[in-house]
This record gives sequence, structure tokens and C-alpha cells, in this order.
Amino acid sequence: MDVELAEIRDFLAQHPPFDALPDDVLDRLPSRCSVSYARRGTVVLSPGDPGDRLYLVRSGAVDITDEGRLVDRVGAGGGFGMSALVEHVPARYAATAREDTLLLELPQADFDALVAEHPAVAVHFAATHHGRITAAITQLQAPVRGSAVLKTSVRELLRGEPVSVAPSATVAEGARVMTRAGVSSLLVMQDGALLGIVTDRDLRRRVLAAGVAPDRPVSEVMTADPVTLPARALALEAMLEMTGRNIHHLPVVEDGQVLGLVTTTDLVRLERSNPVYVVADVQRQQDVPGVVEQAARVPAVVAQLVREDASAADVGRVLAALTDALTRRLVALAEADLGPAPGRYAWTALGSTAREEQGLGSDQDHALVLADDADPADPWWAALAERVTEGLEACGRPRCAGGAMATNPRWRLRLGGWRAQFGRWSDEPTPDAVLRAAIFYDMRAVDGDAGLVDTLRAEVVPMGGRSDLLLAHLTAQAARMRPPIGFFRGFVLEDAGEHRDTLDLKRGIGAVVQLARVHALRASSTALGTGERLAAARDAGLLAAESATDLSDALELLSYLRLRHQVARVAAGEAPDSHLDPRQLGSLDRRHLRDAFAIVRSAQQGLTSRSPQVG
Amino acid sequence: MGLRDVLGVGRRLPEPGTPLAALAQASRVDPRTPLAEVELLALDLETTGLDPGRHEVLSVGHVPVVGGRVLLRQARHELVRPRGPVGESAVHHGLTDDRLADRPDLAQVLPGVLDALRTDTGPSGEVGRPVRRVLLAHFAQIETAFLDEACRRLYGARVALQVVDTLTLAQRMLRVPTPELATGRLRLDACRRTYRLPRYRAHSAVTDALACAELFLAQTAELAEQHGRPLRLADVLTR
Repeated sequence: MDVELAEIRDFLAQHPPFDALPDDVLDRLPSRCSVSYARRGTVVLSPGDPGDRLYLVRSGAVDITDEGRLVDRVGAGGGFGMSALVEHVPARYAATAREDTLLLELPQADFDALVAEHPAVAVHFAATHHGRITAAITQLQAPVRGSAVLKTSVRELLRGEPVSVAPSATVAEGARVMTRAGVSSLLVMQDGALLGIVTDRDLRRRVLAAGVAPDRPVSEVMTADPVTLPARALALEAMLEMTGRNIHHLPVVEDGQVLGLVTTTDLVRLERSNPVYVVADVQRQQDVPGVVEQAARVPAVVAQLVREDASAADVGRVLAALTDALTRRLVALAEADLGPAPGRYAWTALGSTAREEQGLGSDQDHALVLADDADPADPWWAALAERVTEGLEACGRPRCAGGAMATNPRWRLRLGGWRAQFGRWSDEPTPDAVLRAAIFYDMRAVDGDAGLVDTLRAEVVPMGGRSDLLLAHLTAQAARMRPPIGFFRGFVLEDAGEHRDTLDLKRGIGAVVQLARVHALRASSTALGTGERLAAARDAGLLAAESATDLSDALELLSYLRLRHQVARVAAGEAPDSHLDPRQLGSLDRRHLRDAFAIVRSAQQGLTSRSPQVG
Repeated sequence: MGLRDVLGVGRRLPEPGTPLAALAQASRVDPRTPLAEVELLALDLETTGLDPGRHEVLSVGHVPVVGGRVLLRQARHELVRPRGPVGESAVHHGLTDDRLADRPDLAQVLPGVLDALRTDTGPSGEVGRPVRRVLLAHFAQIETAFLDEACRRLYGARVALQVVDTLTLAQRMLRVPTPELATGRLRLDACRRTYRLPRYRAHSAVTDALACAELFLAQTAELAEQHGRPLRLADVLTR
């Protein structure tokens, strides 16, 4: 006989995975359960206990710990005891009531019966369980990996004294104090005791939306007795509290004293894989080893982006931003050491970094553009170039094999010198010179006086665009970069060396890049990105709209495959390269790849037939 | 122990073979028994009023508490057809004459309640001598008085139960503000709130029995902490 236990049923119906169960199953489920109660501090489950039931938190909260380290905090609707149910092994973790807690218990046999009919239930708890194991493992690795939320105490997140008012202060006064201090929350305190908290959200909901007059005391709109954290609590705990309770501000206390406030923003800043925060961290470094340490995070950032299915174009931009940040910091550290620069200058990126189309493991290519009144012979420039190049190398950016770096005095020129150099490339290009020149048409100021580079490019790009000879050589070069089109029939792979039997994606990518560069030059466009260059050529009527789109898509596909390959290489502890083993491609990827190469090939042929020929 | 315990002064013996006689033969629980080993039955009755002489039982809900667990599997809920119309009281419990018309009457429902008030298995599942379950209710006078009256009317004998009253416990533990005491069983929600137990909106006999059982778990957890030792039945027994 099943008794209608409406309250238990409704509770289950509100929480996954039970919310997805059919009504009749939900109706029967409560009578399979029993109810127990754990007073705060009670150990519900110890590691090694022969778990024989699923525990669901009905009210209160339970901490899941692994040898004292917090793995998860389970609130109402959450479950634990999964080791037995999912893995059929004794409990892995300790479960301790953090608050007075009411528990629902579902015996193993009933759980198994439920799962037999509704596998999604098992999937849900297996996923939760997996998440906890992952968290526990992450914790174990924390000393090695230095994951910030696990290593950082909330004390370390505090910035400055808490901003507070007395309970008698009016809402308007409170709002003014918040605005002046530039904070999103305000503590209400009396004689050093914390009475409540008022947040931006409260001002919106409890004051403006509720039509409360601004001359009412803040004590009327504050959240009284807010949740607090001890200063020794980990950032992870703050994160769990905030997500569990849907709050964004947590006062931090020690010995009854309020030390300050932790906000979600503080926690997000800790987030390791967010490029924005990596950039911020890079900027804070006071020495080269510090910068190098931050650079080590870059592959993880890229891996995360690839996991999140970011486009290769986006990842390229992020990588360029990170390289820029590393470069700027290295320049700043060098300047701090060497003294101020003996003149105006711009540190510029060349090639893929300039185009913001980097992959992992890209070479460093850069140059210095000096103002015309600077002295290129001053040893300061060489010292700067050497320090930055050395730093970038330590950051995992190999030196450019072709020597296109600021360490080479040939690429430390005054504006006039560059003008002359580009003129030579336009007027009397030899095939050898063109090979070198191409990369310099991808030039972007990273640090220093960007105006110098703008001035230069505004002059030399149209100059190159007017040079039939240069265009012809660049066209020939672009056409020579043959994508391995026959690869799927006869498999035209690298036939020698360590990359035997692999396919160099760089060739396909390089072909598109060079095509776009020639097209942009012909259109006298100063665009840098390959996509923008193709669009510029299309707008100038030099490239069919369809071809521009196809080439962009082909580039995206090739770059994406390369990124995925590189991330896998890094994960396997190998150096990232662009040599793909085609046997590891799925049939869909293969088909797409073949299409991409066909697009590139036909665009190369189209370009050759329409361009001036090298006579 | 035995038959004498269910006999009120000047009353007759329960007829042999009735559920009441079976209950009478089950042994009382020694108050020195560790509470963890005592089986209780949380019981709630919905009635047309407070006077067992004039008013009627309309629904019965009960659920056992065994070894610190509320066993929902054994939860029971019965609507009871009264002898007359429910009248104005429908406003409080929402049970209408129409809903109750085809339900069993109290004579049919009472045996199930009395059977649930004893157990044939010990705490570890061993089959032994039948043992009584301790009645658990909030403001238990209502439940005991109506049970007494029903047994007197149907079996001609009283039932003398051991009782734990969560309202009495709350008063003892000073967990209820005094002005609220007067309103008796309506204060179940208020008592639960002091332990931050979830708020139950749908009131039915079985929900209230469950609510009472959960409150009991919270109260005894606190009490055990205060005493600094595991509780015995005597620590919580009202009578």
C-alpha cells in the first residue's frame, strides 16, 4: 500500500534527477525512503563504511571531505553515499552534518530498482560522484598544480577594510557610502558587531522596487545575521557557500571581528583558466621568472578554450593577447632595469602573432621601429631586444629560425630605415627577399609608440600594392605552398624525417595566409587578420564573396584541427607541432579537410591566373 | 505486566481475539531501555472537534520511528467515515462528507492502528515476544483521548499507552515561547521552525505524524547533546 506523502513527493519532484521521473514513479518513491536526522557536527558516513543507501539532504547541509579536505558541500536536494551505489565499494569520503540536517535515505535495493527502470537517475548520481572524485583528486594535486581556490584562504582575498555604516544610517547615506567607496555591498555594524549586510541587489529589490523611502534606516532593508566565513576558510569554501546560497558577498570574520568581505569577483579572479586573469597576473609579476611561471598556464588556458569549443579564430586572438601581455611585461621589466629608452620606439610583433592567428608553440617574430630622432646604434636597443627575446624563449616561444627578431640589428630600424627597406622589397624584389619580406607585411605594435607603426604601414602597404613585381613574387610564393591535395588518394605526406607519414597542417594554413596577404596588398588594405584581409579583398572586388567565405572557413577548420592536435600533444607531455597523423582523423574531419584543401588549391589557381606573372 | 495495564479502574477486560487484546498481551517497554532500541509510532488524528464524547475521528495517519529512523514504508493514512455529518469542522481539515462517504468507519480502521502500536520483531529483526510501540504525538491528549474513547466504545476496554509528547518535550526544553503554548497542537509548525525543519504546507494526518516524528528526531538529538550521553526512554517519556 502506498501512502500519499505529499511533502516528500513534492520535495523530490523539485530536485534532479527525480524531477524528471514520471508521476507514478514519484508517487511511489517516498514510501521507499526513511527519514533520519543529524545534529550539526555529526558524522553521517565515515570512509570505509559499507554504504548501503543513498542519502538526500532534505534540509540543512552536509560537508563531504576527503582526509579533512572539503570535496563538496551538499545542500537541500543534494545527495551523497554514491560510492556504494555507483561503484559498489565502501564509502570513499566522510559526510559530516555542517548544519542540523534532515536526511532522506533510499536503500540500495530500492535505488537499484529505480535505476533499472530509469537509468538517468544513475547517470545523475554517477556524474555527481565523478565530480567529487575529480574534486578530491584535484585537491590531492593542489600542492603541485597550485590550484588557486584550493590553496588560497579567504584572508588572502581581502582587500582593505570593510565598508560599513551604523544601523541608524539612512538608506540614502548607505548608498552614498557605497558609491564613494566604489563597493557593491555595505556592512551594517554597531560597536564592532556585524548586524547585517546591504548589497546593490538589495537596494534594487528591497528599496527601489519596493518603494521604500531613502530616509528609512538601512537596518530595515539589510539582510540580518548574514552568513559569514572564518578567515582561514578556503576560497573553495567561499565558492561553495556562494553558489549553494546564491549570494555574492561573504563577510570574513576572525575572533568575532569582521576583517572584510569576499565577493564573487574576488573568486572569479582566482579562476585559473580565464585568460583575462592570466593577463592580469602577468602584469603583476616583478621579475622574469614570475612571468615565465605565468606563461606556463597558457597551454591550460588554450585547452580549456578548446574544451569549451571556442573557434580557432578566438583562440588565436586569446593567444596573441597572452603573448602581448608577456611581451609587454618583459619590456617593462627590461626598461626598469636598463633605464628609460633613449628615444621613442615601438616593439612590434610580426607574422602569426601580428595577425593574431597563433597556435601553440609558434615562433617569436618581432622587430623594433624607432623614431627618426633615435640612435639605432645605442646599445640600449640591443639589450632590450636580447632580454625580451630571452624571456619569451623561457616562456616557451622558440626563437625564429629565420632570424626575424629584434635581436637582429637589421630589424631594429628607424622609421626612415624601414621605409627604405620596404621600398627595396617593393622595387627590386628577388625571390629570396620576398620570402623574408612577406612576414614584415604582418606587423603590429605591441608596446611603445603604436603611432610609429601606423605611420609606417599607411605608407608601405599601398607602396607594395602598387608593385607588380612584389605582387607577382608573393603570388608565386602563395601558389607554391601546395596543400597536400592528393593526400586522400595517394597520401602525399611528409616523406622524410621525424614527421614521416604525417600531414603538415601548417602548409594548408600557410597557403590561406599567403593568399589573403597578397589579396590585401593588392587592395592596399592595412588589415592584418586573414579573415579581415579576405573581406577587404572581397570588398575591393578582387575576390568573389563565396571564395572569401570558403577560404575563411578552410582556415578555421585547419586551424581548429591544428589546435586540437596541439592540445592533445601538450596533454601527452609532447611539444605542440602541426604534424597531424591522418589515420587519427574521423571520416567527417577527413572529408572536411579534403574540402578545405580543395578550396585552397582552387583559390591558388584563381590567383595565379589573374595576377601579374613574374616575367 | 500484561493485561492489568490496559485495564482502567472498574472496566471490563478486552474481549479475547480482538486487536486490543493482542496489544494488551504485548509487553510494555522498560523506561530504562536505550531510546535507540525503542520503537515508537507517530500518530495523528484529524477530528471534528476536541471532545471525544461528541466529536468524530475523520482521518488517521501514523508512521513508525525505529532506531532513529522514520520508516516511510510503514506510513499509513486512512480517511474515516464519521457517524454523522462533519459540519463546520470541514473548514479546518478540508474533509467533506462526500469525500468520506465511501470510506471505512472507525470500527474498520481502529484494528490497523492498534496493530501498528505493537511489533513482533525486535530492533535487530529477531522474532520474539510482541512488544508495544510507544505512542508519539504532538499535544498527545487528543490522540490518547480519542483512542481511549474508540476502544471503550468498540471493545469495551481502555487502552493504556506509553506516550511521548513532542509538545511536552518542547516545553521542557524551553523551545517554545510561552504565549504559544495555549494553542496546543497548532504549534507543531512553530516547534519545527525552532529547529529549522522544512515547512509543511499540506496538512493531513500522515503529514502531521511525519512532521511530529521529524521534530522528535531533532529534539532527541539536541537532548542527547545536552545530557552528553545516549538517551533512555525515561528521558523523553510523558507518561
